[in-house]
Amino acid sequence: MLFSLIIKQMKMLIRNKQPLIILLVMPLVLITILSNALGSMMDGGEEVAIQANLLIVDDSSWVQEEEAIKLFLEQEGVTGPPMDALLSQFKNSDPVELLKNTILTSDEMKKYIATDYKQTVDLKVTRQDKNIDGILSIPSNFRLNYIKSVYFNNADFAELSLYLNQDNDIRASIIESVLADWKSGYTQSAALLDVGLSPEKVMSSVNSVEKIEQVLESNERKIPASIYYTVGMLVMFALYIPAFLAGFALQEVQWKVYDRILLAGVSPILYTLSIFFTGTLVAFIQQAIMLLFGMFVLGIEWISLEGMTVIVISYSVFVGALSALMTTLQFRTKTEGIANVFNGIFITVFSFLGGSFFNIRDISEILGKIGDLTPNGATMSAILSIQKGQDLSVIWPFMFAIYLLVVVCVLLSIVFFPRRGVTE
Amino acid sequence: MLQAISLSKKFKTKEVVREINMELLAGESVGLLGPNGAGKSTTISMLSSLVIPTSGDVLWNDKSISKNPEPLRKTLGVVPQEIALYPELSARENLAFFGRIYGLKGELLETRITEVLKKIGLSDRQKDIVKTFSGGMKRRLNIGAALLHKPSMLIMDEPTVGIDPQSRTYILETVKQFVEEGMTLLYTSHYMEEVEMLCDKIYIMDQGRIIAYGTKEELKELVSDNQTIELKADLFTANFEKALGERFPKATLRIEEKILTISMSKSEEPLATIFAIAAANNVVITSAIVKVPSLEDVFLHLTGKALRD
Ligand SMILES: Nc1ncnc2c1ncn2[C@@H]1O[C@H](COP(=O)(O)OP(=O)(O)O)[C@@H](O)[C@H]1O
Ligand SMILES: [Mg+2]
Repeated sequence: MLFSLIIKQMKMLIRNKQPLIILLVMPLVLITILSNALGSMMDGGEEVAIQANLLIVDDSSWVQEEEAIKLFLEQEGVTGPPMDALLSQFKNSDPVELLKNTILTSDEMKKYIATDYKQTVDLKVTRQDKNIDGILSIPSNFRLNYIKSVYFNNADFAELSLYLNQDNDIRASIIESVLADWKSGYTQSAALLDVGLSPEKVMSSVNSVEKIEQVLESNERKIPASIYYTVGMLVMFALYIPAFLAGFALQEVQWKVYDRILLAGVSPILYTLSIFFTGTLVAFIQQAIMLLFGMFVLGIEWISLEGMTVIVISYSVFVGALSALMTTLQFRTKTEGIANVFNGIFITVFSFLGGSFFNIRDISEILGKIGDLTPNGATMSAILSIQKGQDLSVIWPFMFAIYLLVVVCVLLSIVFFPRRGVTE
Repeated sequence: MLQAISLSKKFKTKEVVREINMELLAGESVGLLGPNGAGKSTTISMLSSLVIPTSGDVLWNDKSISKNPEPLRKTLGVVPQEIALYPELSARENLAFFGRIYGLKGELLETRITEVLKKIGLSDRQKDIVKTFSGGMKRRLNIGAALLHKPSMLIMDEPTVGIDPQSRTYILETVKQFVEEGMTLLYTSHYMEEVEMLCDKIYIMDQGRIIAYGTKEELKELVSDNQTIELKADLFTANFEKALGERFPKATLRIEEKILTISMSKSEEPLATIFAIAAANNVVITSAIVKVPSLEDVFLHLTGKALRD
């Protein structure tokens, strides 16, 4: 019986043009327009690629330093065959070569870092280049200093300079993490050699790639306009469902089909319950359609599907509960006044506060906090948080607000239910 | 047996139904006749458990329906005055929905729908959306929707309002057939000829009260020593009307455009006098008919006003 009621309500929605236009066509059109029109503004023109561009300005070379190194070794009293042996060992574990030819050239690493080499550039000019995320400058005496400090405990440390373009946090941290790895590898290479490990092995690129992946995980994914507005419109337009269902219910009373339903032995409670379930189901389908639209048309990659499922179902249940409440209130007042006020004023204000049109936190943190108390705002914040890659647990405070609102709606529906019948 | 015992209904302070007593026995066909606003629909709503009476009670098989309306609802089919259908659904879908909420399903539901569609003559339009139906077809489907669960008692509230004569005849024939098949019927109308055609027993209602009750014959007995004269003229002057009233103080007079109806005792022989008065007042009477009493006259006699306005 419940099932027949739900099916009938779904048919009423589908066979009427207005609900279809408002619940599906409008949000889809708005998502498309907003994510394209405001897209460039919000995304700052950047593509979201995570490949970092590293420029290595290398003033050093083995050839150029070999003489100086030999001289230094002689001063330290190393000559003849022992010197040759040492030199060949240095050559084999040359940190610059290691970085250039092993770490940065592995296929895995190439996905994350694209490297470019230059000699003697004007750093001031190069630093202005927005396409470069990091510049590593290797001074001409790097190897000598390296040998001095690592093998002879000389205080002259091998100085490097690393400049990071902070415009993009993620890419900067990828470079930083790989180079830090490399640095700690070669500074310890003497100690490693002592225990019979080659620094090459320890600093394998595999390690660095893992580090990058950790960096990426710990970093928030950027929310492009397409995601922002798909979510914004999704939470906003679900709020139009209750008025439609409550409107149909009032029509049923006016047309006296409601009398027929009562005469058939359907209790008012069961009837209200059917509206609750219809609202939930319609909201779920509507949100699913928008998420799929985002995925297939706008190319959004939704992450954390289990989190998304929890949020979408919770919000759908809220929409169902609100539909039941609105139906009860309209049965009581016998006018569509409440639905009209809700559609005309509340949805707009709620959507504004909840951030469906733009991020309200850009204006005021307090308004943003208030927005998180609206059902649509809480849902939007929850979805955006997990889409940024945050842990699933961040959604619970938002979901708690939703569940609280569900309970409030259900209680109010019970309180306001017209006990003496709707017919009078 | 369905009984109304001293049934009253007030909406706020407005008394719509006042202490009425009614009885509907199994197999009977009962009419409830009254003008618009008499309280017929409200009475029906109370009888069918949809509206709670302000005072009085409705008994179904000697048990009050206020606590447990289920046994009554199972055997009862109600055809509301309004077209209580879903305009966006097809005829078949409408019937399927109303059947399902009565718990019918599967094969049984399908055969019931087919039977009902045949009964109301809509088999060939079953797939069409109700919105596209004519008034008469909607009325027929409105009746059909009350029949799916095979009720043994049918309450119909003005089922022929606002439709063309052909559809009306079709519906009346269909209802007559229900009665012949043994259906218990409570038929509400403000058309006396429908009630006369379909019902054995008749209640006449006005301003919330039952003002008369009986079989057709018993009711007509009430006006058997009355006669009704219908006069036609191009113009009835106020003076003529006044003169008539003075000459026949006990008669009831009613003018409807070019027709004047006079109800009075049979003991009088008024025609000659009427023509004389007409001549004296320059009224040219084009026709004069002396009519046998009808329920219309009963109503006119009881209330001094016409059943239809
Ligand atoms: N729900 C209601 N609230 C207030 N007045 C009502 C309501 N329903 C009917 N009435 C009034 O009661 C009177 C009788 O109505 P109704 O029972 O529909 O008469 P009928 O069916 O004989 O035309 C009318 O004057 C109508 O306006
Ligand atoms: Mg009525």
